[in-house]
Amino acid sequence: MPVFKTPFNGYSVKFSPFYEDRLAVATAQNFGILGNGRLHVLSLSPNPSQPFTEIAAYDTADGVYDVAWSESHDSLLVAAVADGSVKLYDTALPPTSNPIRSLREHTREVHSADYNPLRRDSFLTSSWDDTVKLWTLDRPSSLRTFKEHSYCVYSAVWNPRHADVFASASGDCTLRVWDVREPSSTMVFPPHELEVLTCDWNKYDDCIIATASVDKSIKVWDVRSFRVPIAVMNGHGYAVRKVRFSPHVRNLMVSCSYDMTVCVWDFMVEDALVSRYDHHTEFAVGVDMSVLVEGLMASTGWDELVYVWQHGTDPRAP
Amino acid sequence: MATQSPTQNQNQGAESAEPAANVDQQGATEEPVKQSSTPLVFVNSEPMREEQVQNAVKFLSHPKVKGSPVMYRRSFLERKGLTKEEIDEAFRRVPDSAPTVQTGGVTQDGQVKSSSNIQQQAQPQALQPGLPASAGVNTSSATLSRSRFHWSHALIAIGVLAASGAGTAIVVKNSILPRLKSWIRKVVVEEDDEELKKLDRKPTLVEEAAQAAKSAAAAAADVAKASQDMLISKEEERKHFVEVVSLLDMQVQEMKSMTNALRRIEAQEDLRVTQTNTKQLIVNGKADYDLHSVRSTSPPVSYEPPSSLHPKSYMEIMNMVQRGEKPSNTRPWEVSQVQNSSTQVPHAQGNGEYLNSKVQDSTQSNGDGDDALPWWQRKNARIREIGNETEYNGNGSSYGVASNQPPPQRTWVPPQPPPIAMAEAAEAIRRPKPAAQKDQMSDTQSVGNSSDVSDEVTRIPRRSESEGAVEGGSSSSIPSTVEIQEDQELRRE
Repeated sequence: MPVFKTPFNGYSVKFSPFYEDRLAVATAQNFGILGNGRLHVLSLSPNPSQPFTEIAAYDTADGVYDVAWSESHDSLLVAAVADGSVKLYDTALPPTSNPIRSLREHTREVHSADYNPLRRDSFLTSSWDDTVKLWTLDRPSSLRTFKEHSYCVYSAVWNPRHADVFASASGDCTLRVWDVREPSSTMVFPPHELEVLTCDWNKYDDCIIATASVDKSIKVWDVRSFRVPIAVMNGHGYAVRKVRFSPHVRNLMVSCSYDMTVCVWDFMVEDALVSRYDHHTEFAVGVDMSVLVEGLMASTGWDELVYVWQHGTDPRAP
Repeated sequence: MATQSPTQNQNQGAESAEPAANVDQQGATEEPVKQSSTPLVFVNSEPMREEQVQNAVKFLSHPKVKGSPVMYRRSFLERKGLTKEEIDEAFRRVPDSAPTVQTGGVTQDGQVKSSSNIQQQAQPQALQPGLPASAGVNTSSATLSRSRFHWSHALIAIGVLAASGAGTAIVVKNSILPRLKSWIRKVVVEEDDEELKKLDRKPTLVEEAAQAAKSAAAAAADVAKASQDMLISKEEERKHFVEVVSLLDMQVQEMKSMTNALRRIEAQEDLRVTQTNTKQLIVNGKADYDLHSVRSTSPPVSYEPPSSLHPKSYMEIMNMVQRGEKPSNTRPWEVSQVQNSSTQVPHAQGNGEYLNSKVQDSTQSNGDGDDALPWWQRKNARIREIGNETEYNGNGSSYGVASNQPPPQRTWVPPQPPPIAMAEAAEAIRRPKPAAQKDQMSDTQSVGNSSDVSDEVTRIPRRSESEGAVEGGSSSSIPSTVEIQEDQELRRE
């Protein structure tokens, strides 16, 4: 299985929704504390001697914490940069004209970016300045700012079924569900006693949402009855950094954690852990499952490596 | 309260919708299909819990809580699991706490406007006649008392400081200064005594120096005597040596005559024997010379790791940043124009196009066989099988699922050893003990090797040092010469 070595520490990896062999990697120098960043666009090739080809690499003045592919254009990317700016890149244009836009509104680091899969024209960015901002590609400024959290917002994710609903996970230990048409959040509840680092909607059931936290657990909730979780999955040794539901299997989800492992879970089963991959030698920080290829997943971490492998195989096998 | 009204209307609207939603959802928990009903799903559709509201009211009425920023109060209640309606109700019931209702900013200026609105809110809220007057007075007096408290606090602090300064001055004058004076007097007296002692000591020093000089002169005289004896002995040895050499020459001449006679008498085989003997001697002598030269010219090799590539750990970088230093490998980046990317992109774009065509070809020729499929599209059947399976492995499986499942056409290959990338690091992390032991072993071995080398290197100078020590260290004359002669003779043999 191919391994790509990035020059900087990896932060996020996302598969392209248009090309099944393409993915973007967001990296930051010096573990993201201070320094430059780089956004890689990689292409997988069947050639085993050179499994990865780098289509493009964009350098930034500060670390890139997250990347999101556009759902409307196959070559557009949104990068969440640690200096508070949101940068748009077009891989079809020459590197001299990239980034095509730099949006500076957040006052602190932008931690996540997510593109609306249904409306395809707007995207969200969440930041450490306690806000979530809604943008469209054509406007130079944000459409809306959602400011209700009292601490860093680590993740904002669109609902895959309802085009105007999204959820935000924050360091103030709450999860908020918003409707873009409403002036304020429609739901707020505390899924964990400690900071909630990530959340993701189930792709097959629009009311099920998973959250993961510094308390090393992953909880799956039904927003209609949010007092008690559907499932609680322990097993990680340290804080869980990212959670993603599988686009192909209803109950399957993947998580990556500071215990350097990537785990696959089935939350409807009593013994939920399906498999555990400990191929990283540093914090595993980013993970993604491909929408176009069933079972294909990618992960990256602070050990500057990007692995792409099929579920059920060894990511380090050559 | 002015800007709370729109949110109250919203909440009332939501609340009016909620009973309907509750009725619907109590009947059957089904997913709403219509988009118009989506707000009802993603809402805290529970009735308000009076207990929670009362707890929140108690919390908000606590004096310590009233001193905290309003945002913290709200986030605390949210963290305790209260719904928005319950929180709003609690804020309504505790009148003088002004919740900063930061609704989703309508425009970009929303934040600024909301903050200014909040400030305007606070003042009319404090002065509203609807509020209990005592509460208002309490708050105002509290604020005023706070302000006065600040001034009085400052005055008290100044007074305390002045008093302490005066007190210390008095104490110093009365007690410490006399002590100082007495101590100084003592020191002066001691210095006078020391000066006298020094004068006494000086002649002793001079005497000692004279004695040392005398002993040194005696030692030098002894050394000179010993060296003279050495020279005499050397001359005698040379004489002996010359005699021995002459004897040897005589013997050599006799030998030559003998060999000449043998040559005349016997055939070429004798010549070969002598020649091979001489060659062996020559070879051995050369080998010794080579070893000797290798030992003398092999200093211990020192390895310097490339300092520029030394990766720093997370804690090192955090400490650097906190100290205010910047990690050295950052570059200021104005525009993201990279020379590397410019060279890579045209090349990669060409590759990308080629790859796309290739992928299309592969997908078209899907039925040809496994080779046409890209590697990431293989083993799809495996995933479906896993999905159909109801049993899953426990936590023990490290490299995937398929070890216990019945393999269909494609068998699960045991994991290969990891590739070169980061293998050493991975091994080091995985097996710390044997790696540490191995390192220790290798370190001790390497240390042993280096020490051997260094021992061999220093043997020769040590020998010379020992020679010097033997020759010059002794003070007696006659027995030393005898010893020297004996040592040298031993070495020759």
